[in-house]
Amino acid sequence: MKPVLLIAINFAREQRWPIFVLLLWVLLLAFLGLVTDIRHDREDLLLLFKYVAVYAVVFSIFFGGSAIYNERRSRRIVSVLSKAVGRQQYLSGLVLGVTLACAIYCFALGMTGSWTLGEAGFPVSQVWFLMLCLVAACTLAGTVALTFSTFLNPFFAAGATAVVLGLPALASHTMGPQWAYVIPVWELALTVIRASFDSPGTASWFLIEQAVAQTVAFWLLSARIFSYVDIAVAVE
Amino acid sequence: MAPVLEFENVTKEYRSFPRRRLRALDKFSLRVEAGEIFGFLGANGAGKSTAIHLAMGFMRPTSGTGRLLGEPFGHARARRRVGFLAENVALYHRRAERLVRFYGALNGMGGSHLEKRARHVLEMVGLQDDLKRNVGKFSRGMLQRVGLAQALVNDPELLILDEPTSALDPLARVAVRELLLRAREAGKTIFLSSHLLSEVELVCDRVAMLHHGRLVRLGRTADLLQASEQTEIVARGIAVTCFAGAVARDGIVSFSVSTSAQRAAMEQVWSLGGEIVSVSPLRRSLEDIFLEVTAGPQSTRGGVH
Repeated sequence: MKPVLLIAINFAREQRWPIFVLLLWVLLLAFLGLVTDIRHDREDLLLLFKYVAVYAVVFSIFFGGSAIYNERRSRRIVSVLSKAVGRQQYLSGLVLGVTLACAIYCFALGMTGSWTLGEAGFPVSQVWFLMLCLVAACTLAGTVALTFSTFLNPFFAAGATAVVLGLPALASHTMGPQWAYVIPVWELALTVIRASFDSPGTASWFLIEQAVAQTVAFWLLSARIFSYVDIAVAVE
Repeated sequence: MAPVLEFENVTKEYRSFPRRRLRALDKFSLRVEAGEIFGFLGANGAGKSTAIHLAMGFMRPTSGTGRLLGEPFGHARARRRVGFLAENVALYHRRAERLVRFYGALNGMGGSHLEKRARHVLEMVGLQDDLKRNVGKFSRGMLQRVGLAQALVNDPELLILDEPTSALDPLARVAVRELLLRAREAGKTIFLSSHLLSEVELVCDRVAMLHHGRLVRLGRTADLLQASEQTEIVARGIAVTCFAGAVARDGIVSFSVSTSAQRAAMEQVWSLGGEIVSVSPLRRSLEDIFLEVTAGPQSTRGGVH
């Protein structure tokens, strides 16, 4: 477990600049909370909150899709895997790292949202529930991207991830709501997007459980694929 | 005693689109015994790094098997007892001491022991004044030394070093050479891949040469260097023109002849009124052997099919 944690923390550390840029959006939300009349501009604040929240899902796909590629291109992966670290542990570290990076962002967003939206009358507990949905969506999206990135370059991995996340969403609209539980990233993101002061979010815990279970499934799949991949050859 | 590193009929092919295959290693077999410094030589593209990466489990062989410290290639448990330095070392940008601690922690180390060990190995490679500096600001030579420190941090039984001195200045090279010799005295095994043949000649007990993925020479360094068919005769009191290729200096004439013609040459010296100063088998350098091996025809390549 120790190598997994070390790799995860190291991954989040290596992503500090993208995380910092993301946090600037949270700062913008906090700034608006300071300079505007929160009660009067509450719909605008909620809209910004939703936008900023959904960016996390997009970033998690980039984090997951480029993690292995960046490590291989920089050859740093070799120095890690030359230690007593198994391939599955390495992948687990990256999944946890993506989750950690997104969780840092969601925590900052949750704190700012609790203050600004809480002041405007949005239930604080619901803000944190939405952040939980967001972390679950980010982790699943990042893991799906990571799975594709074990055998595709980041561009194609991101494209394939978008297709895999989008198809169940499309199917749930055309073929029935049961499809919403298949890779429920879109459904969890919708929970955040649909939240309003009148209806602050209606996602079920079942959806989050599904996301966690499917994250584990994709993590196992990615570890299986990655165990067969030659990693020391040049990637370009 | 079981070998610390063993390749058995290992073949590795790289495949690329469309249907191209490059055989980097071809039925490669090798055993590295405990407690020796083993030199692994070959031209660029000979397959040295491929063999090392297979041993470390970074890739899988197309066919054949191998064992590292008694475990099949790729076992994380075996790597806990191995120190590895890659060619073109690439490390995370953080303070040298923290970085070495990070790599030590990945090997299951921790606490004050790791802290002391990290400082110790950085001192061993001459970076005691740079413990707190970010390695992102290090020169290539310093990076290579940090790379060596992270390879040594877990006090490994087997050190696998891919070009460990390529970016080092002569002083640092001497220091690394001494470090390797001390490690051997402490019972460690060192698998050293290098282009610096003079370094290999100085420290390695045994040497293997690889050419186009095939093992073409293997033996004790001393034996390889003496395996010459030539003898050098040094004499005085004769004219330099008496023997083809002879060189004169301060009245001393030296020339080399084939071992079979040695007796006749000595008798000729005596018949000319000269005196034999010394007769010794001509030592070759690893460079001579390397050039002889790598000058072979391209058709021996395992090759592009």
